[in-house]
Amino acid sequence: MIYLDNAATSFPKPAECLRRALERYLLLGASPGRGGYDRAVEAEAAVATVRSKLCRFFGVDENYRVCFTYNATDALNLLLQGLLQPGDHVVSSRLEHNSVLRPLHHLQSQGRIRFDLVPFSPDGFIDPAQVSAAIQPATRLVILTHASNVLGTVQPAQDIAAVCRERGVPLVLDVSQSAGSIPIRLKDWGAQGLAFTGHKALLGPTGIGGLVLGPDLDLEPTRFGGTGVDSRSPYQTREYPYRLEAGTINLLGILGLEESLDYVERSYAATYAREMALAEKLRDGLQVLPRLRLYAADRLDNHLPVLTCTLEKRRSEDIGAILDGDYGIAVRAGLHCAPFVHQQLGTLAQGAVRFSLGPFTTETEIDAAVAAMATVAGRI
Amino acid sequence: MRAIAGREVAFDEEGFFEDFESWSEEIFEALAQESGIEAITDQHRRVVRFLRDFYAYNGRAPLNNQLRQGMGLSLLELEGLFPQGLKLGARRLAGLPNPKTCS
Repeated sequence: MIYLDNAATSFPKPAECLRRALERYLLLGASPGRGGYDRAVEAEAAVATVRSKLCRFFGVDENYRVCFTYNATDALNLLLQGLLQPGDHVVSSRLEHNSVLRPLHHLQSQGRIRFDLVPFSPDGFIDPAQVSAAIQPATRLVILTHASNVLGTVQPAQDIAAVCRERGVPLVLDVSQSAGSIPIRLKDWGAQGLAFTGHKALLGPTGIGGLVLGPDLDLEPTRFGGTGVDSRSPYQTREYPYRLEAGTINLLGILGLEESLDYVERSYAATYAREMALAEKLRDGLQVLPRLRLYAADRLDNHLPVLTCTLEKRRSEDIGAILDGDYGIAVRAGLHCAPFVHQQLGTLAQGAVRFSLGPFTTETEIDAAVAAMATVAGRI
Repeated sequence: MRAIAGREVAFDEEGFFEDFESWSEEIFEALAQESGIEAITDQHRRVVRFLRDFYAYNGRAPLNNQLRQGMGLSLLELEGLFPQGLKLGARRLAGLPNPKTCS
């Protein structure tokens, strides 16, 4: 199989990372922070080490809170439901994934909040001035994707953070696509938080993600239960990160994430440069095909190795099936859980075909993908 | 619900059968005509029969690879047989449920 769906989840994973994580888990596997025996204390210390590594990785001080979740969607739900109060307003964008859109729509349908979505430019970028214009006195949060999962465009986080700071509204970034692909310097940019997942460009296992929150961003818990601290109290502890981590955390996932973080950090810049060179080759091969239209790919600077296209009068799901069944090429077709992107692109009815490259994508695979698309596009 | 080929049949918003069992040859022929198939050929009937038999036996649609191997045709060729393509054409006309996923 030629796997070009790394924006959904990276595949394959570096096997040695998972093996090491499993070996450590088999030795360490007590419940972190539950119990005073040595093994439980060691497990908690191992988790604390990963929290520290994540702080460094995302460019924040250790006073930022790292709370583990199942994935980015889970983290975004914790954030939006734990931060927003009745009457609050939120600014987000039409580039968002349903992981942001659905919690926002849910809260709005309950009459608890209002929100506005700023559009993106034809080349796939959010204009900081439009974010500023959308901010109202009641705006409690600006929540934006750092990189579009459909178009691959990396948003000007620092410029957007600057306008948010001017207006006194915190900015939180959904870094699901960008984390592990390009550097993230949250504090330097002036954003107050981020939500991440471990299984995409961070190359970790599924089932682990988190929130990184600045010290001024306080969330109310929306899940309640055992935390290993303050056990006498019948109420959820106020102490971070436990306030947001009800129940036993995913130790195997956290160890897997740590191993993959180390792996990614070793080859970060070189991997990105290589992936983008292949993305450029793919773009150049696709853009000359008849009846094929690429979106937001004229320039690939400020871009992840993600390319999305349509073929005139052809359904994207059928193209995806043909690539899979006839050529063994796995791509993502449809709406990519980002309906407003497709609405704005005019591709809501037919969907689009997304090619997303990863660290193990080869030049031969890109040649094969271009050749397959040429055959598919050639059928009238 | 809509009346088609002398029966009342429930379809979803994309025109997929709500109930696999409510399919019939007559309804298939009416839907095929609506979908732009000018003349139903043996090839069309083979595709529909394969899809229905597979679904009835396995409780799911065939994988892309299984469809290609089972039919002895590429999916590109199969797409070309049905004016509305694989999903809205072949699968829908065979009475398989709407997959409703981004494939």
